[in-house]
Amino acid sequence: MNCPIERHENPELLLAYCTGKLDSETRLALERHMAVCPACREFQTGQQAVWEALDAWEAMPVSTDFNRRLYRRIEEEAAHASWWSRLARPFRAMFEAPLMSRSVPLAAAACLLVLAGVILEQPNNFTNSEESAATIETIQPDQVERTLDDMEMLRQFKLNPSSAEAGTVNSM
Amino acid sequence: MGVVAAALDYDAELMLRVKDGDSASFGILLEKHRSAVIHFLYRMVQNHAIAEELAQEVFLRVYRSRGTYEPTAKFTTWLFRIATHLALNWLRDGKNEKGQEHLDETSDDMPVRQVSDRGLSVEQKMVYQVKIHEIRRAISTLPEKQRAAVLMHKYEEMEYSQIARVLSCSESAVKSLLFRAYETLRMRLAHMA
Repeated sequence: MNCPIERHENPELLLAYCTGKLDSETRLALERHMAVCPACREFQTGQQAVWEALDAWEAMPVSTDFNRRLYRRIEEEAAHASWWSRLARPFRAMFEAPLMSRSVPLAAAACLLVLAGVILEQPNNFTNSEESAATIETIQPDQVERTLDDMEMLRQFKLNPSSAEAGTVNSM
Repeated sequence: MGVVAAALDYDAELMLRVKDGDSASFGILLEKHRSAVIHFLYRMVQNHAIAEELAQEVFLRVYRSRGTYEPTAKFTTWLFRIATHLALNWLRDGKNEKGQEHLDETSDDMPVRQVSDRGLSVEQKMVYQVKIHEIRRAISTLPEKQRAAVLMHKYEEMEYSQIARVLSCSESAVKSLLFRAYETLRMRLAHMA
């Protein structure tokens, strides 16, 4: 047998030997080789120590309430899921009914059409508002003139109340 | 091989019954695989409380997935893939600092039964504790994937192919992981021979 370590051939052979997974024929051949190969013998001794050490490392026993805690978490999740599904049930029914499942898209399309109509109507409103703005623009200068006239009259009244009053009567 | 295949089918069959609403089958799977999962997680994270917490999450995920379960692989492959994923996430989240603290507490995480029921003298118990501490430290020095591969190979006696499916890598990658891991362990533990 070729040395598995020195030739790097089929090195898992040694590992399989250490785990007792070799067939008897291969195992015997390897043991004959190990008797004359220090490297393989050292590997085998070291690996055996590793197995024995790992065997000695026992895990702690499982807690007695492990299952109870797990089932409680499962129940809590189920209760939470059922609360949520109860809340969403009315809305789910609306979308799950066959007739409604066809009606909803139609209703949505109808809404879109109405909205489109409203939007298309918008330019008229804007036109009216522009006209209003124009009207306001035409009205405002007149108003400003009258206001200025009133202010001038008041100023004259303050300066000379008696002549201001006469002027006012004459202008009328 | 036929017996193994039948065992594989039985676990998958149980899980399919769980999918159909049979909660009792979930209980059977839980009893059958609970210890293996917890012990694997314990050796990965080296903290018993964390291991049980992660194991709870493993079985919760199994239960949650019952509706979409498909037996595309061995049940244990799927189970240990979930467990490994959770353990690796826990380790990478930096919580391994807490694990290291517990590693230093040589007796706190030691099962009392192990030490007291062996009929050992005080000196023998101390030697045993030191030995276990060295083993735990040697395992903790392994990179996470090497650690997972060794634990599955040694304690679950999984074949290379199954470990590869759990770790989502090739068989040759698993062999490489194992050889490097065992080489490290031989260096650290050979003196125990």
